[in-house]
Amino acid sequence: MPIEFTLSKRQQETRDAVHSLAESVIRPQSLQWDRDHGVPVDFLRRLAMLAASMGSLSTAAEAMTTERKGSDTSSINRNTLIGAEEMAWGDAGLLLCLPGPGLGAPPVRATGTPEQKERFFGIFKDMTEELRWGAYALTEPGAGSDVASIRTSCRKDGTHWVLNGRKCYITNGARASWNVVFATVDPTLGRAGQRAFVVEKGTEGFSVGKIEDKMGLRSSETAELVFEDCRVPAANLLGGEEAYHTKEGFMTAMKTFDNTRPIVAAMAIGIGRAAYEYARDFVKANYVMTRPIPRYAAIAERLARVVRQLDAARMLAWRAAWLADEQQPNAKEASMSKALAGQAAIRACIESIEICGAEGTIAKDHQLLEKWFRDIKVYDIFEGTGQIQRIVISKRLLTNLKSF
Amino acid sequence: MISFSPSEDQKLMLDSVAQLAKATLRPRIREFEAARGLPEDVRKAAHEMGLGLVAIPSEVGGAGLGLTTAVILEEEIAWGDPGAAYGFAGPGAFGRAVVELGSKEQATQYLEPFTQPDAFGRFGAVAWGEPKAGTDRGGLCTLAKAAAGGGWVLDGEKAYVINADRADRLVVFAQVDPDAGWSGIGAFVVRRDAPGVEILPRSTTLGLDVASFGGLKLTQVRVGAEARLDGGVSDASAGPQTFNDALVRFFAKEALLVAARAVGLSRAAFEVTREYCDTRVAFGKAIGHFQAVAFTLADRAMDVEASRALVWRAASLWDSGAPAGKALRASASAISHALEAAMRCGDDAVQLHGGAGFMRDYPVEKFMRDAKQLQLCAMTAEQADQLAAAVELDRPLDPGLVLPSAETQNAFV
Repeated sequence: MPIEFTLSKRQQETRDAVHSLAESVIRPQSLQWDRDHGVPVDFLRRLAMLAASMGSLSTAAEAMTTERKGSDTSSINRNTLIGAEEMAWGDAGLLLCLPGPGLGAPPVRATGTPEQKERFFGIFKDMTEELRWGAYALTEPGAGSDVASIRTSCRKDGTHWVLNGRKCYITNGARASWNVVFATVDPTLGRAGQRAFVVEKGTEGFSVGKIEDKMGLRSSETAELVFEDCRVPAANLLGGEEAYHTKEGFMTAMKTFDNTRPIVAAMAIGIGRAAYEYARDFVKANYVMTRPIPRYAAIAERLARVVRQLDAARMLAWRAAWLADEQQPNAKEASMSKALAGQAAIRACIESIEICGAEGTIAKDHQLLEKWFRDIKVYDIFEGTGQIQRIVISKRLLTNLKSF
Repeated sequence: MISFSPSEDQKLMLDSVAQLAKATLRPRIREFEAARGLPEDVRKAAHEMGLGLVAIPSEVGGAGLGLTTAVILEEEIAWGDPGAAYGFAGPGAFGRAVVELGSKEQATQYLEPFTQPDAFGRFGAVAWGEPKAGTDRGGLCTLAKAAAGGGWVLDGEKAYVINADRADRLVVFAQVDPDAGWSGIGAFVVRRDAPGVEILPRSTTLGLDVASFGGLKLTQVRVGAEARLDGGVSDASAGPQTFNDALVRFFAKEALLVAARAVGLSRAAFEVTREYCDTRVAFGKAIGHFQAVAFTLADRAMDVEASRALVWRAASLWDSGAPAGKALRASASAISHALEAAMRCGDDAVQLHGGAGFMRDYPVEKFMRDAKQLQLCAMTAEQADQLAAAVELDRPLDPGLVLPSAETQNAFV
């Protein structure tokens, strides 16, 4: 495949389909969902029924859950990116609410045993009766960016493991059928002591703490999870015991990020593009532009800077996804895309509000700039802050740089 | 389908150009600078590799390898020496102007001296810029008047012309209709030895001095009617278009090649600096192991990767025959991003070298000077931004805003 930047026919169709859904159905309800502050379950259910009737939800679930074939024609990472940008353009909060294994999928796919994959992914194959979610629980009150220092403990007790600790900021954690939970046998061992468990809803000793009240992405549900002598069957230790004789446990957490960072980048670009397009159309409609007055040139330059930064970030995201599809290492490139996209999209939202002036700060159903401004900030924070991305990148640029 | 893999042919060519850049250009970069030009052996090597004709279509005598191949190779050449591409002989911007603005017959005819076996050593040039605006109307001050008995008479002074003193032939832009402002421009092929052409002394410049930055004076210079390049306006098969449509395309593609050189410069500055930060020890450890330094390097690495991908995307859109608006928009993003990134990479390269960076023992001070000079070639980042905005806002492309002009900034072509 030579150098090429046009979408395949199928990718174009996906993009167009998601775009029209986002434009005509999702956008108009976006502000209401934000105000309701909770997952719009009724809407998701209708969406699931619609999708199931067309067979696409199960296809999507299957694409998420079946093992990737070794074929180099696979383009799943690039396809996902294209869909994610359009969906986030519609409503990023809703995208995070979509049923399915979510962020829990990559670690299960990467390290789960065949039995575990069957058991944990199987429940997503038919969601016409009931919506189901999976989630990923790593962050703790005392361990955010520094994921190696988590304190949630695990100890073996016969046929079970006993977990104690708290996880926070877990997207869909409260409603998930299962959470991939990271815990440690001994905090002094650092990464080598870490284990990943699949903790199912209703497990003894597992409860949901508070639901967070956030700046943005308010339709997405962010929960605190509490583990008090939580007894997890040994069969739910991800990958089985042998997998942890090396540093595999921690590597599982990191592998997740290599795959998901470009997707998060694409989501940020979707929000940034939404804001940019609003500002661009506002400028078209509100400025007298029969000749190149200096004021126009200054506004034009700001718009052009915004759009080119989004372009640049999209290129890095596509590149990271292409590397993943080619089964090449992409940790550095994934971090680059996430770092640049977070920055570019925040810039896009700030500039767009400034260009529209006071109008840009007022919330209306058809004027979502203030919402996008609130939604975007966390994209430079979750899945690794911009600073963490730069640590990941610079460790791969410099020789023998283990830590700062 | 999105793909970042060069083809096998492109990889082979890239390998041999990389060899030239690594073995010949980079080690002798200071020698070229002192000589203010490339020595014959280097020009000969480039000529034998056919570097001057890469993107020229095969039906008019070029290699027909397309813009994507051209930008890949330009990056590599500039990695060796950011000025080298301007010091190689060949049709250069002249060739691209006659292809974009002329008919197939004109392009074949004017490129012939460059495709012949004895072509080595010939330069072409493009004379667009002028020393001053001088009028209160839009457009150029150099005038082209219809001559009695056919043909044209050119009068005026051109500035910011790359390789003016080396060129055998030039494309000279002049005002045909003074009342039409920026829509009244014409392009003419002028021989350097035509009566009335005076080549002005070359300037000493901040960077890229391997190229020769000069100008020319035209006094009652007569050219035939066939020397006017009309931008395909008279070619019915090309569909309705104005001369300015072709002119903007020419500048955008030309600036995209400059952007590719900027990527090569950025990468060179980044790599040299990365190496320095890996080995220079302060406070008991490599300076790269301090976050302030490492994060700066990470940001510049992102600049290099993003610029390259943007340049590739724009080039591949031109090659695949995408609508001009789409290709122009993609080019504009690539141009402004790559040019500004090169300046950041050059600046940070000197900064992270500290005092050593200011010394000519290291190449980074040259990269920084070259970066500023590249930002003033073909199209500035500001002009590219205006171009992007014009496409985004569905405005007609106002050449007074998007082309290098006295009203905005002059740029070298």
